[in-house]
Amino acid sequence: MFTAGTNSPIKNTDYRVVLPFYAYAALSFLVATLLISFNVDSFTQHHFNGKTLAITHTMALGWGTMMILGASHQLFPVLIKGKLHSIHLAHISFISSALGIPMLVYAFYNLNFGLMADFGAVFINFAVISYLINLTISIVKSKKTNVHAVSAFTAVIWLLVTTFVGLLLVCNFQTPIFSKSSVYYLSLHAHLGIIGWFLLMIVGVGARLIPMFLISKYENTKILWWIYGLINTGLITFIITFTLGANIVFSLMPIGFILATLILFSRYIYKAYRLRIRKKIDGQVKISMVSVALIGIPLVVITGIILIFSSLGHQQFVMLYGFTIFFGFITAIILGMTFKTLPFIVWNKVYHHIAGLGKTPNPKELFKSKIFVANVISYFLGFTILSFGIINTNTITLNIGAILLVINAVFYNINVFTILFHQPKLQ
Amino acid sequence: MNVTTNNELKSTIGLSGLYYVMDPEIGLNIVDLGLIYEIQFDEDKHLITVIMTLTTQFCPMGESIVDATTQAMQERFQDYEINVKLTFNPPWNPDMISEEGNEFLNA
Repeated sequence: MFTAGTNSPIKNTDYRVVLPFYAYAALSFLVATLLISFNVDSFTQHHFNGKTLAITHTMALGWGTMMILGASHQLFPVLIKGKLHSIHLAHISFISSALGIPMLVYAFYNLNFGLMADFGAVFINFAVISYLINLTISIVKSKKTNVHAVSAFTAVIWLLVTTFVGLLLVCNFQTPIFSKSSVYYLSLHAHLGIIGWFLLMIVGVGARLIPMFLISKYENTKILWWIYGLINTGLITFIITFTLGANIVFSLMPIGFILATLILFSRYIYKAYRLRIRKKIDGQVKISMVSVALIGIPLVVITGIILIFSSLGHQQFVMLYGFTIFFGFITAIILGMTFKTLPFIVWNKVYHHIAGLGKTPNPKELFKSKIFVANVISYFLGFTILSFGIINTNTITLNIGAILLVINAVFYNINVFTILFHQPKLQ
Repeated sequence: MNVTTNNELKSTIGLSGLYYVMDPEIGLNIVDLGLIYEIQFDEDKHLITVIMTLTTQFCPMGESIVDATTQAMQERFQDYEINVKLTFNPPWNPDMISEEGNEFLNA
């Protein structure tokens, strides 16, 4: 005997809210790779230089954050089994960040911490606050929550802390607010964003999405709560050791927590993979799974910096650390998940009202699989070659890697905009 | 595939339409996937009630699948009102996939 439930499933967020984020993120990715190819010399300098700051913020905000904001406006209602509170707040969030990011990047590129940087940072904070209010009211209305939703919500709080610290650092360049220069606080600002925002969001939501795409029977909420606790403990430990100062042993503690997170998360994904019903795995899920392994690279690099290279000139390894974070696991999972989420959003937009009346194309037919393969190959080649170029400060290697990354971004944009402009085809 | 119904003939007609409704992520129709639990016909009220589930409560395509189910049934029973209800009791599990569906997923 079946128990009949509601006849209203989870309401999808209006595609007009979500798609601009995807388009903006795709273009930002292209801009970031172009900035790299025009400024490969910046990879041979100290990490605090205008070009590197501009590239990092284009990647962190324009690419990673805009993509995650777009996807989470779509996915968060699914996680809380509710509805997004306001599409107006979502539009405000997009417009505000879309204005703020180029202002901030332009100011950084020219190393001009004036009004342009101030306004850019204020706009970005305003965007995050709008988003946080939207999520909070959505949760309160839904009254349903789970480890995935809690992870995503906590990640947004960390994002706000990150962008607020960023605003203070921009102001600190002009009028001293802190006892030390802003350069000193860069690693605090960066790790709040990398661990609190990106890692927590990617792990929290990835633990829901990857098993779902594998059609896996595996689920273990207890492990996911442990992962949630470990990431937050790792970040809080880092903030404490950064603020109070610590010796090498204490400096390694946050890494230990993040390493434990990585081991548990990898094990979780592996178990989901083993218990999957769908035997044939598509390329998009494969690259998302590879991205989990890529989290290990910056962990190895940062451990090396603390244990081995601190007495040597370790500047190149700091650069490599940042590069492997933004162009490593963050980019890899976005490359995969874009083509597991965007085609469905567009498919819903185009075929929602005619589905069931005839044969419709599969969402994966909305983009070119050969271009996706070329995208992935050029990405991995570019990522690997540029990483070697950073270590050996070889301009030719850096240029080859940079060109490959531009090619990868072009392929990516071709597929993204092919999906965005898809027209209905009913057979 | 095990669909409970009070009218075998009409249920078969309905299911022939529902074979066109795909779970877009899996690429398999919702009948072979085992998402349709029950189709009941109320001839007095001219009402068809479809009780179905989704592979997961978190399915982002849920709204689309339910609407497509309604549209596919309406196409075949134009004089009837269609009421599609979702249930997660019992939750969907892979054993509900038909033999054809399993062949498709393992191909």
